[in-house]
Amino acid sequence: MTRRIPFLRWLSRGLAALILAGAIPWSASAQPIAIEIIGGGANQIPITILPFTGEERFARDKERISQIISADLQRSGLFRLGTPGSVRPFPAEPRDVNYRYWKGEGAETLVIGTITEKSDGRAEVRFHMMDVARQSQILGFSYLVGTQSLRRTAHQIADVIYEKLTGDVGVFATKICYVTKSDARFELQVSDADGYNADFILAHKEPIISPQWSPDGSRIAYVSFERRKPIVFVHNLVDGTRTVLANYEGSNSAPAWAPDGRRLAVVLTKDGTSNIYLINADGSGLTRLTNTPFIDTEPNFSPDGKYILFTSDRAGSPQIYRMRADGSGDAERMTFEGNYNVTPRYAPDGKSFIFIHRSEGRFNVAVQEFGQSQMTLLTSGGLDQSPTFAPNGKMVLYASEVKSRGILAAVSSDGRIKQRITAQSGDIREPAWGPLPNRRKE
Amino acid sequence: MRNAALAVVLAFALGACASQGQKGADIEQRDLFDQQKSAAQQQQQNDAARQEQIAREQEELKRQLEEQQRRQQGAGQDPAIVRPLSDGGAGGQTTLKGDVWGQLKDPASGLAKRSVYYDYDSYSIKEEYVPVIDAHARLLMQHTDTKIKVEGNCDDRGSREYNLALGQRRADSVKRAMVLLGVSDKQIETVSFGAEKPVALGRDEESWAKNRRSDIVYPGEPK
Repeated sequence: MTRRIPFLRWLSRGLAALILAGAIPWSASAQPIAIEIIGGGANQIPITILPFTGEERFARDKERISQIISADLQRSGLFRLGTPGSVRPFPAEPRDVNYRYWKGEGAETLVIGTITEKSDGRAEVRFHMMDVARQSQILGFSYLVGTQSLRRTAHQIADVIYEKLTGDVGVFATKICYVTKSDARFELQVSDADGYNADFILAHKEPIISPQWSPDGSRIAYVSFERRKPIVFVHNLVDGTRTVLANYEGSNSAPAWAPDGRRLAVVLTKDGTSNIYLINADGSGLTRLTNTPFIDTEPNFSPDGKYILFTSDRAGSPQIYRMRADGSGDAERMTFEGNYNVTPRYAPDGKSFIFIHRSEGRFNVAVQEFGQSQMTLLTSGGLDQSPTFAPNGKMVLYASEVKSRGILAAVSSDGRIKQRITAQSGDIREPAWGPLPNRRKE
Repeated sequence: MRNAALAVVLAFALGACASQGQKGADIEQRDLFDQQKSAAQQQQQNDAARQEQIAREQEELKRQLEEQQRRQQGAGQDPAIVRPLSDGGAGGQTTLKGDVWGQLKDPASGLAKRSVYYDYDSYSIKEEYVPVIDAHARLLMQHTDTKIKVEGNCDDRGSREYNLALGQRRADSVKRAMVLLGVSDKQIETVSFGAEKPVALGRDEESWAKNRRSDIVYPGEPK
């Protein structure tokens, strides 16, 4: 903790400047998608990321590690990237840095690095983040990795930089999943958070909805219509196998993992209307949590596992309620504005929740803090669905529609920064942001 | 660190509020309390109203169905009459199943209509679809070994999962009506496709209206 960040200037942000970062090129085995930033902060953290010495030899698809780090930070909307100046060669070690020159260039924080090949074929990535004014290192790390994983290393470095300069955990090294629809083909895809390395884990002609990551990121539960009715599956990402979690008479849907990863809440209609049940991750031990003649659906566990938020029409219109995770006691109504509030999702810190609010025929992402009955709209699109928090709680990814095409969009949890993600063709929908990878040892 | 900075700013802001006097805070607290209380009351009232509404809807549906039956009986249509096959399933098949397939194909039977349509956000059965439900209910009562699926659907606005639940309610509304008419509930499985199986893809009321429906499906029916 050596550097003080000018946090106060974040608070005094004005109108979001329109930053068109342009589409990021795509290379993946599955259907390509592209991400653009459509809003950003007026007060961004300046940072200058110089090419790493030797990185061109390890570039894949012409993308160098410093470019991947830059793209990550830029996409967050929180950083302003400086130019690489005119001094060649670029500094590789702290002793090479000409601080007076970089001060003249307006640089405040400088990132430099090297990549070298080791005798065992692996690569060593070293990087240093330097405080130009103080002429000292803020932090520095060395990674020894297989050359296949350099993109991941770049995301990890971006996470380290992000965390140091914002105080929040970075999510660049996380995964997302989503469903694409092209012609009559549905694919459940998993990709890096920047959309790269996309691959499908399930593809067929029938719809797939409601994918949800297990807390450890090893499994995804989802609803598939492949047997002409909604059935809940659990898909193991490690070995590619999958099991039926719930296939009872009627509809089986809305899986939600408990934080322990051993149980899920699901919605079944086998006993009448849609009600919430608890089930073990292997499909055993079904117990009923709600018992009403109304719709009870879209369960979502609190991060501490003690509560479940859900949608119910018990008061005549769909509203959000909270109950104990064992179903005991009365459910407490959480939303009161308007007559359509659905799809609740806890913030990772458990202090607030996001949901979809309808007003005058428009569907938007809203956020509300617990203990308050007032909500704040985060989006203004009009056909938004399926919001999902980034595991650091700083961004919300959601499905939307532009010109009748399904797209994904992301908004910072303060509503200030917006991103848009589109498939090259067809629709993209039902996003779910994966958990943080096992925290690196520092 | 950032949180600490925020806390400082918030503390400052709160301090500024407090300097306006304790009275303002009291009023605000009371307002909030009243708001919560009235919300809870509202919820209870809503629950009661909801139960009442469901009961009313069921009564109305029952009345419509009875009316429908009376009309048909008055017109001398005995629901027990098995119609001759017009273009039976597999070349004049005379098994019970063939008979069902034949009746389903018979344009005079009223069984060609398989869909019930709904208003936005609603799962109440409109009067114009009571004859559709009645016709299929009579067939099911004649052939108690015949099983059907009722598939509920929604337009694609709003939550996919809530729409799935709403589609289920739509399918269940058809099942409930058929059971009221005397069909065994074992003959009907209801499932929902939510907003996932639209028949119309437009972004207008005309298309949405076509997607808000329950489909009556006879598994194994020859095309």
